[in-house]
Amino acid sequence: MINSDLRLTIAEIVQRSGEGHIPSSFSIVDIVEHLYGEVLRYDAANPAWDDRDYFVLSKGHGCAALYVVLRKYGFLTDQDLLDYGTSKGILGGHPDLTVVPGVEASTGSLGHGFPTALGLALGLRIMGKPNRVFALLGDGECQEGTIWESANIGANQQLGNFCAIVDWNGSASQLMPIDDLPAKWSAFGWSVTEVDGHSADELDRVFGALSMQPEGVPTAIIAHTTKGKGVSFTEGHGKWHHRIPDEAEMAALKAELTS
Amino acid sequence: MTTLRQQFADQMVTLGTSDPRVVVMVGDISHGILQPYAEACPGRYFNIGICEPSMVNMAAGLNRAGVIPFVHTITPFITERAYEQIKLDFGYQELAVNIVSVGGAFDYSQLGCSHHCYTDVSLFSHLRRAVVMLPSSGPELAAMLKQTYDNGMINYFRLTEYAHGVEFEESEVIVGRGIKVRQGEDVTIATTGAQLRNAVASADALAEVGISAEIIYFHTMKPFDSKLVHESVSRTGRLVTVEELSSHDGLYSQCIRSCVGIGGLVARQLAVDDFIHGYGTYEELCATADLTEASIISAAMSLTNGREDQRGSD
Repeated sequence: MINSDLRLTIAEIVQRSGEGHIPSSFSIVDIVEHLYGEVLRYDAANPAWDDRDYFVLSKGHGCAALYVVLRKYGFLTDQDLLDYGTSKGILGGHPDLTVVPGVEASTGSLGHGFPTALGLALGLRIMGKPNRVFALLGDGECQEGTIWESANIGANQQLGNFCAIVDWNGSASQLMPIDDLPAKWSAFGWSVTEVDGHSADELDRVFGALSMQPEGVPTAIIAHTTKGKGVSFTEGHGKWHHRIPDEAEMAALKAELTS
Repeated sequence: MTTLRQQFADQMVTLGTSDPRVVVMVGDISHGILQPYAEACPGRYFNIGICEPSMVNMAAGLNRAGVIPFVHTITPFITERAYEQIKLDFGYQELAVNIVSVGGAFDYSQLGCSHHCYTDVSLFSHLRRAVVMLPSSGPELAAMLKQTYDNGMINYFRLTEYAHGVEFEESEVIVGRGIKVRQGEDVTIATTGAQLRNAVASADALAEVGISAEIIYFHTMKPFDSKLVHESVSRTGRLVTVEELSSHDGLYSQCIRSCVGIGGLVARQLAVDDFIHGYGTYEELCATADLTEASIISAAMSLTNGREDQRGSD
């Protein structure tokens, strides 16, 4: 499995602070790592670089994954991670763009980040800039009305500089069993591709084939993922959604991730 | 009579042609009258759809990309319905926007309570970076737009349907400062929005029965000109507030907060309490809400009758 080291850091910062969503972060960490490692243009020393691509984590509760990736690629420090969830630090249970380098939107209330990111894409096009915009959504988040309002707008405004990635880990189907996300995004006029969200080769294939232009059909990548991926007892949709591991669980988690 | 909405559309042509960062998004309203702007500013006008929360979300993204967004639609839909977007996307994220609404209070008097709104001014006022304005004449709107549109703040403009009829010079409209419309000695009438028309009419009638009413007018509710209220009420000792806003958190509240320390103050509030059911003309709904010249006269007289001992006692 890829990114075991990042998963372990996620668990460590959550356990240390007593706050966080481990399974939601494990679900997306491979995608976020791939974006920063292979896809996005940015300058970690200058997060406000004009020519950067924008990444918005619309499912803000998965932010521990974003934080460890931002640390890996130089936006954050080890101390930032150590201070996660404390009054000394800048990182918390949902990301705050006003204080965290590299964070492009303050998310947390589901259904906000995606339309904000679409506005970024529209604004960049208006300003004549070629930057690309990526947003990562949860499948549960896709129950929010603003997602589909905005999906309509994205297609109607032909925001070809935009790519939505949906973390399809099955959360939504617990409540709404009719859960055919690829068909829904297609019906809203998006170009849909599916990918295994935990496979480096698959992610490379799909993102490598992306051709994003300021004007055109926007892209939706539906990522098949597993909530809690990587540790046997955090996988699935049970009690671990917002659970903090105790010492014994932490030891078991570490053993699985380092074996 | 030219509506404030038409004057907004006219102003946007001027603003849009002078500043290429200006972009207008509407929720399928004022589409026709904004066509001159759309033609003058190609690629910077969007009739985005009937989806107010997402439109406000998107405006935050526009601003992050360097755009100065104007978002425009009917008051309850862009303020109450999209308030979480306003609060988080512009308040929490410290971004800038110009939100321009029509149909505040009961301007859509024949369309029913679904299209009425009294809480908008209060909602915006909770945000530290908000500038809350109720332009009710052309010169006010023109001055406010020029003074604020690119200030990096959350600017809220509640446009009344028609002007209040008092002719201000653009140069005397300063955002954040009230205007003393009439000097008086016996009672202070504080008002905002289109109710200035009734305030002026009531002051004329009160003068005929020997009551000298001072009128102070607030085109800006945040920042609020507390000094003007305090100075006036310190002299009159009597206050009547008249507002097409919720009775719970509007002009009356601001005025009373401004009057702390003024001994012997007596006050009456004319405002909106809950829904105004029914249909009719704007004037008919004003009567239903007790927002009339007669109501102001009655309130002022109730404060002045037999209370001569209080006047000037502080």
